[in-house]
Amino acid sequence: MFWKMIFGALTRQKSRLLLIAFTVALGVSLATAMLTVMFDVGDKVNQELKTYGANLNVLPKGLSMLGEMYNLDQVEGEAARPEQHLAEADLGKIKMIFWAYNIVDFAPYLETKIMAGNRPVILVGTWFDKHLNLPTGDEVDTGMTRMKSWWDVTGSFGRDDEPRGAMVGASLAAELGLKAGDALPISGLEGQDLGSLEVCAVFHSGGVEDGQIFAPLRLVQDIAGKPGLVQRVEVSALTTPENDLARRAAQDPGSLSRLEWDTWYCTAYISSIAYQIEEIMPGARAKAVLQVAESEGAILQKTQLLMSLLTILSLACSSLAISNLVTASVMERGTEIGLLKALGATTLSVVLLILVEILITAFAGGILGYFVGLGFAQIIGRTVFGAAVTANAMAAPLVALLVLLVAMAGSMPAVRMLLLLRPTEVLHGK
Amino acid sequence: MALVVYNLKVEMLREVFVNILEIQDISKIYGTVNALRNITLSVQQGEWAAIMGPSGSGKTTMMNIIGCMDKPTSGSVILDGDDISRLSSEELTGIRRDKIGLVFQQFHLVPYLTALENVMVAQYYHSIIDKEEALQSLERVGLQDRAEHLPRQLSGGEQQRVCIARALINHPKLILADEPTGNLDEANEGIVMDLFRQLHCGGSTIVMVTHDPGVAAHAERTVVLEHGRLARITSNPAKDF
Amino acid sequence: MKKNTSFMIKMLCCSLVRRRSRMAAALLGIAIGAAVLLGMVTLCYDIPKQMSKEFRSYGANMVLVSSGRESMNLDDAAKAVRHFPEGALVGMTPFRYIPVRHNMLPYTAVGTDFDAVKKTSPYWRVSGEWPAKENEALVGADIAEYARISPGRTLAIDGRNSKHAKFEANITITGIVKTGGVEDGFIFMRLPDMEAMTEEKGLADVAEISCSAGEKELQDIAAVVRTDVPSLEARLVKRVIQSEAAVLGKLEMLLYLVTLVVLVLTMICVATTMMTVIMERRREIGLKKALGAEDRRIAKEFFAEGVILGLVGGLCGAICGLLFAQFVSASVFDRSVAVEFYLIPAAIAVSVLVTVAACLLPVRRAVEIEPALVLRGE
Repeated sequence: MFWKMIFGALTRQKSRLLLIAFTVALGVSLATAMLTVMFDVGDKVNQELKTYGANLNVLPKGLSMLGEMYNLDQVEGEAARPEQHLAEADLGKIKMIFWAYNIVDFAPYLETKIMAGNRPVILVGTWFDKHLNLPTGDEVDTGMTRMKSWWDVTGSFGRDDEPRGAMVGASLAAELGLKAGDALPISGLEGQDLGSLEVCAVFHSGGVEDGQIFAPLRLVQDIAGKPGLVQRVEVSALTTPENDLARRAAQDPGSLSRLEWDTWYCTAYISSIAYQIEEIMPGARAKAVLQVAESEGAILQKTQLLMSLLTILSLACSSLAISNLVTASVMERGTEIGLLKALGATTLSVVLLILVEILITAFAGGILGYFVGLGFAQIIGRTVFGAAVTANAMAAPLVALLVLLVAMAGSMPAVRMLLLLRPTEVLHGK
Repeated sequence: MALVVYNLKVEMLREVFVNILEIQDISKIYGTVNALRNITLSVQQGEWAAIMGPSGSGKTTMMNIIGCMDKPTSGSVILDGDDISRLSSEELTGIRRDKIGLVFQQFHLVPYLTALENVMVAQYYHSIIDKEEALQSLERVGLQDRAEHLPRQLSGGEQQRVCIARALINHPKLILADEPTGNLDEANEGIVMDLFRQLHCGGSTIVMVTHDPGVAAHAERTVVLEHGRLARITSNPAKDF
Repeated sequence: MKKNTSFMIKMLCCSLVRRRSRMAAALLGIAIGAAVLLGMVTLCYDIPKQMSKEFRSYGANMVLVSSGRESMNLDDAAKAVRHFPEGALVGMTPFRYIPVRHNMLPYTAVGTDFDAVKKTSPYWRVSGEWPAKENEALVGADIAEYARISPGRTLAIDGRNSKHAKFEANITITGIVKTGGVEDGFIFMRLPDMEAMTEEKGLADVAEISCSAGEKELQDIAAVVRTDVPSLEARLVKRVIQSEAAVLGKLEMLLYLVTLVVLVLTMICVATTMMTVIMERRREIGLKKALGAEDRRIAKEFFAEGVILGLVGGLCGAICGLLFAQFVSASVFDRSVAVEFYLIPAAIAVSVLVTVAACLLPVRRAVEIEPALVLRGE
């Protein structure tokens, strides 16, 4: 009989229960959309922040980067510094560290000086878009093309399989009167002929690169006489914002306790990624570019905090709206409840009847709302980030719990009121 | 002059003898259910008629049609000279407001208004509110000291009396009562029936729908419906009023 | 007629006051709607600006360099800085690069204003103390490691100024700076110390400027600077500006979309709540119709009720919404939110509109039903 009554209520009180289901669906879709976006927004914004460029520099031990900033003239005696190189063959290892999945892109660089248009110019060799087969069986596409998305490029990005294709910086191109498609004859510093480069693009970066030429790594290795070697590698990694533990570890990983060390090592802090790269490439030193790493952390944290707060707001709103509606609609049914009580129904069975009815309705609405919410999240993801938002497994149980609590909480005041009702009063038209 | 006097006489005659309600051969069909079949009935000015019958006999349909809340499928209903079966629902609203006072089984008072205000609601929709008149009306049903109470603070009988006061306030041509004692105990039933008797003595026309022969016996005439047909009309022995 | 109007108002008040619990439910719904509306829109309006300030942690987005061969004059730089809008300018840091030697090894000494550095390059990580007194200096992490220099040491340095006059000085290292960038290979000292050491005043090689403004604005400023101070050239740091524009644009869009979704859903919730509240009153509507009220009059009453509910709920909601926006802004950005005051009446107006619309729909349906059906009292 209990289920018959439930069934009767569900099928025959359509409009009222539909309204509840509808509101629950709305609330749940809002909650789902917000939760899904919230869980994923960190990753998405992190990806976006990659446009700020590499957050790790991998250098040979001992090499420092003097004279790079603002196109300073070479400091006297620079050449006397011990200069080592990294082996190009080792670079694939960067994708084999514990946090390999978080390494978004990396590109090696090798610089050498040449003469172009009667003036010394820095020629930079790099991977434009390199396909790597790792020993682990994974395949990776990486290179500068992906890391310098903020460059203004007229023409097309260079390609690794065009051995003499080169990209020329805007200020150099202006001085030499070059444009995409031109041929640029180059020679060594002592005047030996090095053939000519095909200019495939002119780029504007706003930095020192505007005065340089970028060419495939192989070509530059040949010109510089450093086969199989690179000078430095820029790595772009998805990282977790730094905290105290990470800062202490960055100072000295040895100062951590065993447990702290494990936590640190297994979290994608920039310092632990750097440490892991150093581990896997013994001759290398990985330096976090704090300008990028710190700012990323700050912005990520703000965005995530913001989204969490907005999510809490929308959760609170949908909870209030749902429970409000449930209360209002249960209150309406005073007469029916009075009748049931007059017929000798126990308080418990009446309460149970109402709760089961509301819960069934709420869950029907909730399931619908969940999928609509996922849809909303996808729309947001597609429009904003141009990528699908990953549905987090956490969202579903959270939403289910929410619906359960909210529906119960919403029924409570009504149930309390109903328990106080005297059947006679209700039936006598009050 | 003579003509004027004659006209006046005709007017007076109409006042006294003319039927206030004339039902001509009405039927009402809801989908496949024939709620009323070919009923013809008239109620005179100042008459007290009771419509009786078991459940499903068409009492409520009758009541709704007389009360201008529903229209017959066929036939005509003439209320105080207007054929209400031809009027639009807008016009019916006006008739209802001006000519009919409704008393319900479930009282139907606005829950958030006091007894006095509930009476005044009828004035408000009819014309202009007049607190004095509303108070008088409550006094007439003996509730002057309960004027400021909310419906939930009143007993069933008191609520019904407020309902009657509300029905009287606009001086309707016809008081239509649907099971006025259906929700009342015996004591209250007595009070309410006394009120109706007083109204009747005052010259009000009353049509009362009931299933209780005891209540119907108060009326001058009892119309009995069975399965949507007019079964019989009985005149009750004249009471001492 | 005046009496009737006052009775209508009285009826309205009674309906609102004596049906407290139901009205509370309706008000709660409306207030939530208005709070979300105002809170989200205010945030939506304010956050991009706040975020733009956050992005300044990426450091300078513009540099001033000399347009000629020689170093630029600090007075010119100060003149150029005046072209930046007051509120948006985060800071201007001059840098003067001088090659020096210590223990016969070459280094680059950089003279700068450390207070300005803290503003324009908040990512500098200094272990030890920032230099405060005369002849105190920071040393880059690479040099510190390479030359084994620790805070507290005094270095003797010498070199030649731009006129090839020799100078010597002793500097005390107070801390080690680490950025992961080129700064790790420099020695930083206070600009006045460097001026005293080299006996050259008011010169700098580069001035970094951090300014919360978009690319277009910065380009305009750069053009103005070029014409006003021809000895200087203002260059945009493209990497920082473009990335900021890209990320900020996405964030802004995300916020707008989220706000839109939240708003639409909340408004529908408000509407459904109002509908249930009104649907309960079908019997009352039927009664009023039976008493001879015209449809228009009933609609008018509910309309008035909706307006009052919308106003009160909207006002409460607006206050809560502002508090919420304030709370979010304070906890995320440590700043108070900038309130656009015209949004407050707008939010209240929207909640009135939604409420009235949500009332009138079920009321219209209720008046269409014959009163008999309602009053039969199922």
